[in-house]
Amino acid sequence: MAEQFAIEMKGITKTFGSVVANNKVELNLKKGEILALLGENGSGKTTLMNMLSGIYQPDQGEIRVDGKPVTIASPEDAKALGIGMVHQHFKLVEVFSAADNIWMGKEKAGFLLKKDRYAQIQAMAAKFGFELDPSKKVYNMAVSEKQTLEIIKVLYYGAKVIILDEPTAVLTVQEIEKLFQVLRKMREDGHSIIIITHKLNEVLELSDRVAILRKGEYIGTVETKDTNEQELTEFMVGRKVDLNIERPVVEKTRPLLEIRDLTIRNDEGAVAIDHVNFYIRGGEILGVAGIAGCGQKELCEAIAGLRPIEGGQMIHKGDNIVGLSPKAILDKGIAMSFIPEDRLGMGLAPSMSITDNMLLKNYADSKGIFVDRDLGRADAQHVIENLGVVTPSTETPVRRLSGGNVQKVLLGREIKAGPNVIVTAYPVRGLDINSSYAIYHILNEQKKSGVGILFVGEDLDVMMALCDKIMVLCHGRMMGVVHAHKVTKEELGLMMTGSLDLSHRYEDKPAGFAKDTNFVQTDEEVEP
Amino acid sequence: MEMDKMGVVTTFLHNIVVYNIPLLYGTTGEIIVEKSGSLNLGVEGIMAVGAIFGYIVGCYANSLGVGILTSFVAGALCGLLFAMLTVSLQANQNITGLTLTTFGLGVYFFVGNGVKAVNWPAMADYVNIKNGFADIALPGLSQIPLLGRGLFSHNILVYLGVVIALGMWWYLNRTQTGLRLRAVGENPAAADSVGINVKRYQYLHICLGCGIMGIGGYYMALNMSGSFNSSCWINGYGWIAVALVIFANWNPALAIVGTFVFGFFNTLRVSGSSLALAFPEGLGWLSSVPTQLYQALPFLITAVVLVISSIRKKKDGGQPASLGLNYFREER
Amino acid sequence: MSIHVVKRDSLSFGKKVLIYLGAVAAALILGGLLLLAMGVDPVAYYSRMFTMGMIGNKIAYKAAENYLKIFVPLVVTSVALSLAFKMRFWNIGGEGQFILGAVAAATVAFQLGPILPQPVTLLLMCLAGMLCAGLYGVMVAALKVKFGTSETLLTLMLNYVALYFITFLGETQAAWNFYLDEESVRPIFANFSKIVSFPSIPIGKFGLNVCVIFAVLIGILIYVYLKYTKQGYEIAVVGDSPGTAHYAGMKVNRIILRTVFLSACLIGLAAAFKVGTVGILSTTVTDDVGWTGIIVAWLAQLNTIAIFVISALIGVLQYGSTAAAATFAQVDSSFADMLQGAILFLVLAADFLIRFRVVFAKKGGLTNGNG
Repeated sequence: MAEQFAIEMKGITKTFGSVVANNKVELNLKKGEILALLGENGSGKTTLMNMLSGIYQPDQGEIRVDGKPVTIASPEDAKALGIGMVHQHFKLVEVFSAADNIWMGKEKAGFLLKKDRYAQIQAMAAKFGFELDPSKKVYNMAVSEKQTLEIIKVLYYGAKVIILDEPTAVLTVQEIEKLFQVLRKMREDGHSIIIITHKLNEVLELSDRVAILRKGEYIGTVETKDTNEQELTEFMVGRKVDLNIERPVVEKTRPLLEIRDLTIRNDEGAVAIDHVNFYIRGGEILGVAGIAGCGQKELCEAIAGLRPIEGGQMIHKGDNIVGLSPKAILDKGIAMSFIPEDRLGMGLAPSMSITDNMLLKNYADSKGIFVDRDLGRADAQHVIENLGVVTPSTETPVRRLSGGNVQKVLLGREIKAGPNVIVTAYPVRGLDINSSYAIYHILNEQKKSGVGILFVGEDLDVMMALCDKIMVLCHGRMMGVVHAHKVTKEELGLMMTGSLDLSHRYEDKPAGFAKDTNFVQTDEEVEP
Repeated sequence: MEMDKMGVVTTFLHNIVVYNIPLLYGTTGEIIVEKSGSLNLGVEGIMAVGAIFGYIVGCYANSLGVGILTSFVAGALCGLLFAMLTVSLQANQNITGLTLTTFGLGVYFFVGNGVKAVNWPAMADYVNIKNGFADIALPGLSQIPLLGRGLFSHNILVYLGVVIALGMWWYLNRTQTGLRLRAVGENPAAADSVGINVKRYQYLHICLGCGIMGIGGYYMALNMSGSFNSSCWINGYGWIAVALVIFANWNPALAIVGTFVFGFFNTLRVSGSSLALAFPEGLGWLSSVPTQLYQALPFLITAVVLVISSIRKKKDGGQPASLGLNYFREER
Repeated sequence: MSIHVVKRDSLSFGKKVLIYLGAVAAALILGGLLLLAMGVDPVAYYSRMFTMGMIGNKIAYKAAENYLKIFVPLVVTSVALSLAFKMRFWNIGGEGQFILGAVAAATVAFQLGPILPQPVTLLLMCLAGMLCAGLYGVMVAALKVKFGTSETLLTLMLNYVALYFITFLGETQAAWNFYLDEESVRPIFANFSKIVSFPSIPIGKFGLNVCVIFAVLIGILIYVYLKYTKQGYEIAVVGDSPGTAHYAGMKVNRIILRTVFLSACLIGLAAAFKVGTVGILSTTVTDDVGWTGIIVAWLAQLNTIAIFVISALIGVLQYGSTAAAATFAQVDSSFADMLQGAILFLVLAADFLIRFRVVFAKKGGLTNGNG
């Protein structure tokens, strides 16, 4: 007898305009398994899953649930078929309580809202093994709480098939472990699970089988126990790539940028960066690790002069840059490229051309009242040629470019100005492996030419390979600066969650500013 | 003399209610529309359409009930037009609303001048409508001295307006459909993802809200003892209703209070002088206040409320988070 | 098979124009059917309307002059609004700003007109109108950047505050109120066209009001301003992505304040043109240009050239309907409002076809042999 699948997708094709997001993709999900859907960014994973959850509809192809062909025209249909999806960007009503976020989708809830819905939701959450404060408003919740709420929500609606889109992206190492326990328990209870990810270690740790997509094409499905990282990477990127990121050894200069006792408040007025000390030398890459929202953004903004500081000093080549305008700081040679979650919100004007975007920081330098577009066009041409940006012309709006090209344009503009310090946050966010390597290469070239780089990242493996030193932040406090090639991932994880604090390792001495040698192991690490 | 003064106060209270209930209809209707996430600036036009068709069909049938029903349907049809354009065809809500006002007033004058040309009789000539619109004293309550006749002896549409407002408050806050409607206005993508049919909710509630506005328009027609003349019956009430929605913090129950407050100024404009006459020592100064100040006050107050509430930045204010934004499921 | 809708990348200019023209034609046909039902010949009515009654009219030049009186305030206001809209600042307070500008210009005319030479008075009228309207607008912008106050709702409210202010001036007879006609028993606004008014350049019988030339000049200047200057570049960046503008070291709040001030100033200037041409205030001095301007700017997709074309067409619609109403007594002049509404509704609907594409999905299991 043929095996009964929970979900079968046959020959699914989906296009957006001229872009083929999915081309004749096949996918089978067995009952009671965890299937990892693996692929680089832009390989069509989320698009494919959105067709299961009713957000998109396939242009071609067939979907079967429990062997029966179905049409999923809306999330309503998906819900009725027992398919639930936890989206990467949570779909929660901020002003509602946890209970109401679940209750609003309940079928046959009765016309009246009754107070006992809170107790009902809480009891149900407990049954699945979750703790939940049903009357807590979503806007008061932490990210992991929101994710838990999303999972409880799909379980409550009776989903048998649960899809999670990059659920670990926003979690700490410890929270990820907890999530995996939850998923394993759900598998035991008979749920079938699809987890979208591009992190190989997670795939190997959690899944039963792995389905791989590459550039919208279906590559194949393998049993997790029969494969390994190397093979999966090959499937994913199509050719063998060197997993090692280059870390050139460069003669370090004296500190270019020194941060002393810096304190910054965030938009809500809470302390975002709490008495932090560190420095960046020329010719080194200093990584900044930390879970999302622990002060990285505020730190970058303060250095770039975009955010007033509460206290402390920022010394650039001997000059205090506190209180200078963004423009003045830029003129001193401190460049910043910050890639926000939506990629385009900061640093680029998406509807404007590459030329216009090149002019963003120096349009005011030309004489007269008019913008010098010839200059911008020349710069655009330069960046396109040197960094290999794929675009029809210099006048193409940036929003039409693919993610990797957008980020090249952004970084290219920053480097074009010939900075001596580069602050870069999430430069490979959302990029596929090839584009990421191109970006790493660009950064290393800058490092070799003596530029000091502050690299705010999210992937610990990358940071451990690329950076010279890593500074770890936890809720705005510096937990220590460690040598990237010495530290273990677990240590970083513990520091990120505040369980390990190396900054006060020697209680008799003040933490000082960024004497990294103070707290890394012992003798041989002492800097010259 | 004492009795006379009380009479003035009672009449004053009575007038606050009688002349301003259309605001309550307009506001309640607009709250329902806005709670679904749509900012509809067409209230003035919709009320006008409700007024003219309620007036004509109601008179033709010689029935107040038919008039009310017609004005509701006419308003709801305007809502349907708005919903088709903004919900299905993704048109800009500000532009569509403003156009609806132009269009609605155009229809109002076009039809109105048409019936005026054939000497349509005044509404008061229709016995059933006249009787139907007569005041009904609430037993007990209307006997309260000073306040009773002012507040508790009114025509049926006053009571209906209050009942609708309270009913809508209950519906929004105490029913699951209301919860779902609020979810649609706050975050349509979230509502969609849990299987709420966003479009259906928006269509239904835009039509419902606009229908309620239509009744408000019909009330204006009735209260002007309705024969058509060249000035508009609605006379800016639709815009005051848009303001009142903000003043009431998107809460239909508070809209009743807000209507009374705005109505108070409106009534001072008309009968402030009689108050000044009755109480020359305490309120004599009223007669020297320019009437235009009373007309501007609702807008001034709302402007101040807007500014203050934006300064306070409350996270769970009444304004729906997705107000004015169209929802397109496949947005990437 | 199922139908669903996806966003379109772009559509050729020609096709866009064709779709919009189709929408306008459809609205005219609907209106024509209504006219037919009333026993009016639609062709005759429309031709009267679109020629604005100028054909076979001995005083056609008068009609052209009056038409331009409608056109100038509308086009200047629309251009002004497009500046603010370009920054995604929803200034729907054009009405209020126009009224304050008109009152300020009239104040100068009454107070200084008799003393100063006409060109100086006219210049001061323009400046006063610009300043008052500009401040009224920039106040909202200041609240918006400081507290995040909704500018849509706030400017809407302020329209009515201004409206009742001018009503107050028009209805209050008092010694200080120099705006009113002293001769009249009932309060009516006084006419100052004998004291000061914008001159016309005679071209045959036709007098070309200088304001028309100014309006065209403003259009060209704003076009260049938006497209080629640094400030125009800043407006584009702020409108596209405020975060990016901030990050590039632009003083975003200052740019917003500056642009909204400029936008409101131009509306004040439009008001000065208007009162300086008609020579009298009125509670309906705006002719609804604050509202219509929003629609024009939006329909033109904030393109300055398109604003001129659409303003011209809307002006024809409005002025032409009055002209047609004189000939066809049975058709009320409110027909134009309905027609304008219908055209806009259909254009809004047509816009959907331009921005989106309807897709018919096929069941893949049957058509796709991939298996």
